[in-house]
Amino acid sequence: MMTGSPAMADETMGEMLGRRGVSRRGLLKFAIVMTSSLALAPSIAPVMAENLAAARRQSVIWLSFQECTGCFETLLRTDSPTIAALIFDFISLDYQEAVMAAAGSAAELTLRQAVAANKGKYLLAIDGSVPVKDGGVYALTGGKANVSMLEEFAPDAAAILAIGTCAAYGGIPKAHPNPTGAVGVEDVISNKPIVNIPGCPPIPEVLSGVLVYFVSFGRLPDLDERKRPLAYFGTTIHDQCYRRPFYDQGKFAKSFDDEGARQGWCLFELGCKGPTTHNACASVKWNDNTSFPIESGHGCLGCSEPDFWDQEGGFYTSLAGGNGPGWRDTGVAAAVGVAGGAGAALVARAKVSKEPGA
Amino acid sequence: MRDFNFLADDGLVDALLMEVADLLHNLLAHQRQGSVDLLGLPLSAGCLAALEQRLGHGEVTATLCSGGESQIRETSFPGVWWTTHADETGRITAMLIEVADVPDILRAARPDMERGHARLLQSTNFSLARPAA
Repeated sequence: MMTGSPAMADETMGEMLGRRGVSRRGLLKFAIVMTSSLALAPSIAPVMAENLAAARRQSVIWLSFQECTGCFETLLRTDSPTIAALIFDFISLDYQEAVMAAAGSAAELTLRQAVAANKGKYLLAIDGSVPVKDGGVYALTGGKANVSMLEEFAPDAAAILAIGTCAAYGGIPKAHPNPTGAVGVEDVISNKPIVNIPGCPPIPEVLSGVLVYFVSFGRLPDLDERKRPLAYFGTTIHDQCYRRPFYDQGKFAKSFDDEGARQGWCLFELGCKGPTTHNACASVKWNDNTSFPIESGHGCLGCSEPDFWDQEGGFYTSLAGGNGPGWRDTGVAAAVGVAGGAGAALVARAKVSKEPGA
Repeated sequence: MRDFNFLADDGLVDALLMEVADLLHNLLAHQRQGSVDLLGLPLSAGCLAALEQRLGHGEVTATLCSGGESQIRETSFPGVWWTTHADETGRITAMLIEVADVPDILRAARPDMERGHARLLQSTNFSLARPAA
């Protein structure tokens, strides 16, 4: 991800970028894009560019707890090379187990050295929930409970980024019956600035925006009552959904393959949780701004809201209640598909069995 | 699927043009620059196209090649610029109406000029030492 040569000690980011051939125009352009992403006034962009040029690289220490690595993957796989490259120029990812070369005791030494060198200044990024039941024995790193690591490294952090729904609210590990006692970061740490960036996984541009804001202005962006950045979580997916006019007209798909679905009507009656879900999927979208679940024909699951996995009625029950989609029709289609697949498999196996030497 | 993305709302376009007129007044009266973040507004492609058409094309178009291509184009209203920034994959990442005599991004920045000056001197075959008087 790094572009060009590594940063020199005490070098400002403006000096580093200049040495790598990134002009101030390039930096201003980046700031214009980020102010747009952060819903800041465009007039802030020159100030952001100046601040970024004068700042030094921000230390980030990333700890992975009870997680699936999807959150970190979403950042690594961002399809915007310019943003990805610049973000990794602006931060110094001093510890991250999935991508660092060191392992075992060398990795533990790296962590302690990074914490000591950046005491009070580093951003502590957490992905994964924090299991607290039975002393936190259900998730250990180097023999140490994740909850103990969080309690040890949080006090010296400038702020904490809880990345993904698991770190923010407990997520899937917290789903009923929550056998490990999984909780979110803010259930363990209450005396540090925390920003929740929920989503399963979170949108990479949101993390980029929060990092750039912090590096530019030395503080977290404005947050909502659930500690999410307002710029990205200030409205519901429903409010920004391109299918919203159909909801207002009362035009709803009744099953995933009916005429309404083909016409692109609203998926509310198929269980879409867009009206109660705050996230930027409908505007920022995914995969290089290509699409998002509703645009691909499936309702929103509400993955950036607390306890989304345990919603009453499940994913396919309308928020207004009801019976959900017409599963009978869908079931028939699925049964035909399964039967067809089974038939094809049998034919294929029969052909394989006739191969010489089989 | 029917595409509702190309419906244009003339009322919305008129409202935006009024805002641009206000920004231009601010520039003339108080030398204050202003801009409108078009991607931050819930505008359909139809609205954007209508707005671009109403503003028209002026005398100046500049292309910036830095982290992808950017087009900075003066509209038919001097001082009102239509700016589009794309990343290296060609995806539009920002679209603005800027109201300024010259958009900031076109000005050469001092650190860049200093680096350029040093490179220019290095590229010559002449000694930098001035002859003694």
